[in-house]
Amino acid sequence: MNKMWIVTAQTYLRQVKSWSFILLILTPFIFGGIGMGIGSISANSADQEDRIAVVSSEASLRDGYIKQNKDDVAKKYTTVDASKKALKSKDIAGYLVLSNSDKQVKATFHGNDDLDSGTKSRVQIYLSQVQQQFNLQNAKLTGAQAAALQTQPQFKQDIQKNVGKQNIAMLISFWVMVVMVYIILITYSSITAQEIASEKGTKIMEIIFSSTSAVKYFVGKILGVLLVIVTQILVYVLGGWIVLNYAKSASLTKDFFADNQTMINSVIHNLFGVNMLFLLLGVVLFTILSALSGALVSKAEDASKAAQPSIMLAMLTFFSTFPFQNNPESIFAKILSYVPFFSSYFMPLRVINHAASPLEIGLSLLILLVTIGLMGYYIGRMYKGLMLQTDTHGFWSSLKSGLAYNK
Amino acid sequence: MLKIEHVSKQFGDVKALNDVSFSINNGEILGLIGQNGAGKSTTFHSILNFIKYSGKILWDGEPISEKLFDKIGYLPEERSLMPKLTIEQQIIYLARLKNKSVKEVKPQIDSWMEKFAVKGKKTDKIKDLSKGNQQKVQLICTMIHQPSLIILDEPFSGLDPVNSDLLKQSIVEAQQRGAAIIFSSHDMSNVEEVCDSLVMLRTGEVVLNGKIDEVRDQFGKTELFVTTDWTLERLQALPHVTSVTHQRGNHYFIRLENESDGPAIFDQLTDGHYIEEFSQRPPTLDEIFRMKVGEAAHE
Repeated sequence: MNKMWIVTAQTYLRQVKSWSFILLILTPFIFGGIGMGIGSISANSADQEDRIAVVSSEASLRDGYIKQNKDDVAKKYTTVDASKKALKSKDIAGYLVLSNSDKQVKATFHGNDDLDSGTKSRVQIYLSQVQQQFNLQNAKLTGAQAAALQTQPQFKQDIQKNVGKQNIAMLISFWVMVVMVYIILITYSSITAQEIASEKGTKIMEIIFSSTSAVKYFVGKILGVLLVIVTQILVYVLGGWIVLNYAKSASLTKDFFADNQTMINSVIHNLFGVNMLFLLLGVVLFTILSALSGALVSKAEDASKAAQPSIMLAMLTFFSTFPFQNNPESIFAKILSYVPFFSSYFMPLRVINHAASPLEIGLSLLILLVTIGLMGYYIGRMYKGLMLQTDTHGFWSSLKSGLAYNK
Repeated sequence: MLKIEHVSKQFGDVKALNDVSFSINNGEILGLIGQNGAGKSTTFHSILNFIKYSGKILWDGEPISEKLFDKIGYLPEERSLMPKLTIEQQIIYLARLKNKSVKEVKPQIDSWMEKFAVKGKKTDKIKDLSKGNQQKVQLICTMIHQPSLIILDEPFSGLDPVNSDLLKQSIVEAQQRGAAIIFSSHDMSNVEEVCDSLVMLRTGEVVLNGKIDEVRDQFGKTELFVTTDWTLERLQALPHVTSVTHQRGNHYFIRLENESDGPAIFDQLTDGHYIEEFSQRPPTLDEIFRMKVGEAAHE
């Protein structure tokens, strides 16, 4: 196995086997699960309390209502006494007594509060339907007359474009994208700087550099960290897919998903494809910068200090996207979408808003790739010097003496 | 054969190495000695290409490059391992970087741990080991891939006499299989005991270079160990005596100007009387080291 891949595998396995990585991966699922659990429990209990009992001496009246509104009805209460008890113990919102008096349907609601408007309108619709049936029977109409009276008015919606939902999808995509890039950059900038600085602290680099070249080692390290990031993204994609499929059929969320399918598809589409490429390449660029920062400290305890330049730059790029969220066509957004470090935020912003042509996207990617190549090559070359000098100077003098080490 | 030819290295205004030349054959052990800052580690760093230098360093006629790294075993002066790895993981990782497969290395770990008397299991983490055991693990990492050139920077520091003997034994074993070994040490007795030849550096320059016996003979048999009832003052007054040190009881250490002054001193000390001890021999490496350091102080 090539020595570079040995370094990659070692870096990757050391990270993914650590408890901190497992926790990092699981935290969103744990919090998401807890959130959904709490939501589901409170929704269920709220549902129970919002339901009403339906009581009638005529089984067909009760059954007819339940058939139409089964989610609103607490079916187990069939008598007035049982319903009164349930109301007293606040297991139901109230009970509806249905009766038929000489072909006139009557309904009385007993409860502590008014019926909510939705249930009230469903009760009224049901009563109207039943009453209409009775009226038709009373009128003794012919078939044709009865059919004529059944004729309903027509109401249609002709919507040209789902502009509102598309805008929401863009907004959601933008926020998910920038927050995801930001969190990944912040997390892995620290991890990379820590990883490099801790090795420098142990001075194992002299042994490593008597076994392989600094460039191979440096590239191996970067690839190892990148694989960890890809693993995290894959776990999230897989987890997200499972959650999404579950949520589509879960009683609590299925209506939401059915109503917003187009918007959700649009968000998913915006997050993947070329935007994911910008995210990954941006992470590589920041990882290289963090590796350089990590190599500039002399002991592991200073690793958090070492990650500062990358973190500050990540924050600057993150916050600089905010003013352009609704203005992706501005000249600044256009320029910054080609500038490495910024382009990982700004080009996806433009892509999400359909404000960049394939040529522009390709050019920005090319600039990013060339920058990664040049930075990787240059830092890889001076990496040995940086890692082998362990004098406790400041940041800049460390950089200077590291650069001079090989001269 | 490792050949170092006219190597110089300057750090800013400081000349760390100045025209250093020496060589070491396969199957030979060379001791690199010198005070702190003499240029020992810089010499090692130059051999390993950690720094750029002027001059030539050749291993079997080739400049040292990445393709020769697999044949080199290096133990740096400051001990350095990955604390979160287990002994086994650490040894395997570093051996893999020397192009050894897991299959080759894994079965050897137990015997190497036994050889160096490493206390603990191979599943123990490096951070949980004592300093001495960490050093032994590092020595295993340096030697397990059977390198042809072994560079050890102060390998005996931190080892007790028992463990020093274990290390000497494995150095000699490596020598017997034909490896060239170069190590630095402050302890001249280790150099004298194990090395075939030595190089002494002083402020970046070679001041001594050669086979151990030859180097000692360069100084002639200028040392006398005598047991006599003469007083220190009487001994100091003897002709051609450069210094006298009272050791204990009637034992004295006398340094002569020349080896040929010995018989005359013997005659004067005995003068027809019995004398318990009179021994003339060349200086030890330790004494040579002190002499050379002393010379530097006077310059």
